[in-house]
Amino acid sequence: MLILVRKGFRKYQRRVLISSFYIALLFLVFLLLSTYVNLGNTKQLSAYDNDWDDISEFRKEISDLGISTKSLVSSPLLLNEIENPTNSTFVISGVEKDTFSLPSIGSDSSFISFSEPEGYSTSEISAITSFVERGGTVIVLDDFGYSSGIADAVGISYSNHRLYDDEYAVELDYNYVWMNISQNHTDWEDSEEFHIGHSRWHQGTDPTGTGMHPCSRWSESDITFATKEEAGLCGHHYNSTSKKIEYDYDYNLLLNAPSAFESIEFSGTFSYYEAVGRSSPQSYLDLNNDGKITLETETAQSEADAQGPFDVYIETCDSSDCADSSGGRIYFISDGSALINAIYSFDSANSGDFDEDGKSITNIPSNDNRKWALDVIAESALTANNFTNKDAIMASSDAMVIFDESRHSQNVLFTDAYNLVYFLLVYLTGDGIGMLLLFILLFLAFEAVLIKKTDPEPWRHIFNIIYYGFGDAKRYGYYTRTNKIKQVFLSRVRNLNALSREEFDRMPAQELQDLIKDPVLVKFVFENKKYDLEQTVAIVKRIKAWQKG
Amino acid sequence: MWTRKAAFSITGGISLVLIGMMISNFQLMVIGLTFVAFTVLNGWIKGHGNVEVQRILSADNLYKGDDLFVELRITNRSMRRTQQLEIYDNVPHEMKLRSGLNYMRVNLGPGQSTRIRYSLRCPLRGHYSIGPISIRFRNTFNLFAQEMFVSHHSDLIVFPQVRDVEEAFIRSRTPKMYTGASTLRTPGPGSEFYSLREYVTGDPFKNINWKAFARTGDLMVNEKCRDAVTDLFIILDSRDISRIGTVLKNPLEMGAVAAASLASFFIQRRDSVALAIYDDGVSYLPADTGDKQYFKILSSLAGVVPKGSMPLQAVTNSLSPRFSRGSPVFIISSIEGDGTVPNAVRDLVGRGHEVTILSPSSLDFERLVSRIPRMSYEVLKIERQNRLTGLAGFGASVIDWMPDVELSQALLQVKDI
Repeated sequence: MLILVRKGFRKYQRRVLISSFYIALLFLVFLLLSTYVNLGNTKQLSAYDNDWDDISEFRKEISDLGISTKSLVSSPLLLNEIENPTNSTFVISGVEKDTFSLPSIGSDSSFISFSEPEGYSTSEISAITSFVERGGTVIVLDDFGYSSGIADAVGISYSNHRLYDDEYAVELDYNYVWMNISQNHTDWEDSEEFHIGHSRWHQGTDPTGTGMHPCSRWSESDITFATKEEAGLCGHHYNSTSKKIEYDYDYNLLLNAPSAFESIEFSGTFSYYEAVGRSSPQSYLDLNNDGKITLETETAQSEADAQGPFDVYIETCDSSDCADSSGGRIYFISDGSALINAIYSFDSANSGDFDEDGKSITNIPSNDNRKWALDVIAESALTANNFTNKDAIMASSDAMVIFDESRHSQNVLFTDAYNLVYFLLVYLTGDGIGMLLLFILLFLAFEAVLIKKTDPEPWRHIFNIIYYGFGDAKRYGYYTRTNKIKQVFLSRVRNLNALSREEFDRMPAQELQDLIKDPVLVKFVFENKKYDLEQTVAIVKRIKAWQKG
Repeated sequence: MWTRKAAFSITGGISLVLIGMMISNFQLMVIGLTFVAFTVLNGWIKGHGNVEVQRILSADNLYKGDDLFVELRITNRSMRRTQQLEIYDNVPHEMKLRSGLNYMRVNLGPGQSTRIRYSLRCPLRGHYSIGPISIRFRNTFNLFAQEMFVSHHSDLIVFPQVRDVEEAFIRSRTPKMYTGASTLRTPGPGSEFYSLREYVTGDPFKNINWKAFARTGDLMVNEKCRDAVTDLFIILDSRDISRIGTVLKNPLEMGAVAAASLASFFIQRRDSVALAIYDDGVSYLPADTGDKQYFKILSSLAGVVPKGSMPLQAVTNSLSPRFSRGSPVFIISSIEGDGTVPNAVRDLVGRGHEVTILSPSSLDFERLVSRIPRMSYEVLKIERQNRLTGLAGFGASVIDWMPDVELSQALLQVKDI
């Protein structure tokens, strides 16, 4: 019974241990996945969804312009696969998810890095900067997301504080802030110089000078176009009356709850930086994150919010002045929703195209967000430097815009799981350490197959009888002892003379000697003497021969 | 089930795809995909084991050392080919394949059938089962294999060998009280005619004497003399100690042969034979005669295995109420490791039984598997002789049965004790 109870307890203990192990394993897997899979999040900023807070209108428009649009759901490591990215643009609109911290080749201090920058892994950031260095264009639109990793890589820093500005869209509310693109920062002190325009695209301070933007160059060329479509990538500047492209360098961008960049010295590896867009002098950065503007006069200086202007839109290039049309550029705007459908297509939004159940969008003011975005795309795609041939204004066959969907939360489990698997696949085939891991994995898989996988055994009848032996070798020594031999001999004497034990025990010694007769055996029985092996053998032989005659 | 080749093919294919992705080599990826696709496609091409199998044995019961002939008929009852099928009849490993093979590769068309014939030698007694039939399908490229079973079993019993001991009993000094069936001059079941009497309801028709009926006009039946038979009791030692020796030569094997042979001899003489086998308990077959009893005895002996350590006196004490007065008792035991044997024998002899002890020499069986030092062997031998002499002194007939001596020869040696 006790054994049964013990066995039952051990079985129970084993089950509990196994269950605990699997619970712990599931918990760890859940923790790991929960950092990457966020099903509770609302899906937004997607180029392939048509809600008011997605950017599908932008994608559709550039697609209509003949530019190939693609989405990237796994990892920006795939940018390395683009051989000539001169006409390609990579759009990061909101980085909602952090990256997996998988081992990768370290940058400076360590060979292998186990911790990754925010948002993108070292390898991914390297792929993005390499993409820019090879002539690609990157648009980074983010406010409080995980873009700091890529911003840090080019020497820019997000403040991660909410920006409030007196220059907000009065038709809406204070969450919608105007950002005006000025020629240079110092002009902010002079309100007369408030709206000069994009300095590089407009070429210097001379408002009559020829801008560097290709649409500006086409505008200067005085060529007429019969239709808007004929004006190609500069069609959004087309004046249907004059039949010409009339480039306008003034941009009023409407931002939704933006942040701002830190006002620091640029320290990145790129040679050209320019804070193209700034907030107004009457803007404030909510440093204490209390959701209100707190002036220095109202509280202690340490708790007060900072007053603007603040950098909101920064351009950086690999070339010294961004003059090279085939050179790469990165556009940073500290607002993830700068191109959402409601702002980008404000007319459609106001006419109710993006209304949802119980939510109606109205009064979105006219803005230049669309113009700015299409100008960025035009600058990226029109690299021919030919402003006379009308074919050159059309999108080239290799022009491409890639939308980064890998850092958008999905509200469907399988979509997120698919993205995760795809990310791992790209990591393992694109990252140095990933490839090393994959090689090891493949090697181990082959080893496992080689060792573990066996073919079905050939069937063959085997005649197999276990020829077991059974004996008691321990007793052999006992039967060589003198006393035992003596006992066996006396038993023999008693048996052969048909005596009972009692009769034999009562028998006088002389009578026993007469029965035995053999003097050697008599001596053996009556003398307690030690016998060596030879003598014992001789005695046993005599016992065996005793009375046989 | 995947074969090793399939596992190599699939892992190789996936590896090539991944390496192709790593080094951006499209050709490698295509080759890898080809491997994977080839393996996957092969996984879909399957045969089937939907066959009907019938096994025919030459005998259901046979004696140790006899040959068994087996025929397996396999028929494809389906409407499509089986593809490559391996068919294997699972045979107990204690049986030796004498001729033919219990394995065949077939590819049967719809309705086709084939046969496998083989013969087995059964060197060990026991209860055995042939089957099930294993069927394995392999696809053409040996990438996948699938195993199935046809749960078709054929049971058979291998009886211990039966030796002819008649001559030994005639020539030996073994007491001649085993006289076989003798007629008594009283009516009852028997073989010899006793008298005629009138028919009464319930008499079997076969006993009606039709000539007497024709002569007298009344139904008359034949009455037979009652046959008196001797009840013989065989007690077989199946304790754990009786396994000493090899699997083919040990006290239990020899004891089983002896018990079967004695039972055969006495049942042929129309005596009643009872069998008691003791190991960790006693299994008792009450005294009876005839073929049915003979079959029961052989079946019991076929399944006996060494175990336990029950003393002989406990056996005789428990069975003594069942022993017929004065009936002969045969004890087949090595007489080792049981201090109660002298008392048990003395009690049996004291109650008037003719006790014969057939004792396989376990010491000499032990020599077959273990090197016993010469001097120890001699002393052990003397001790065994003392033990047997002691039993003989109680009035039992004792036979010291050496491993290399035939049973009939051993029975003649009773005089030597």
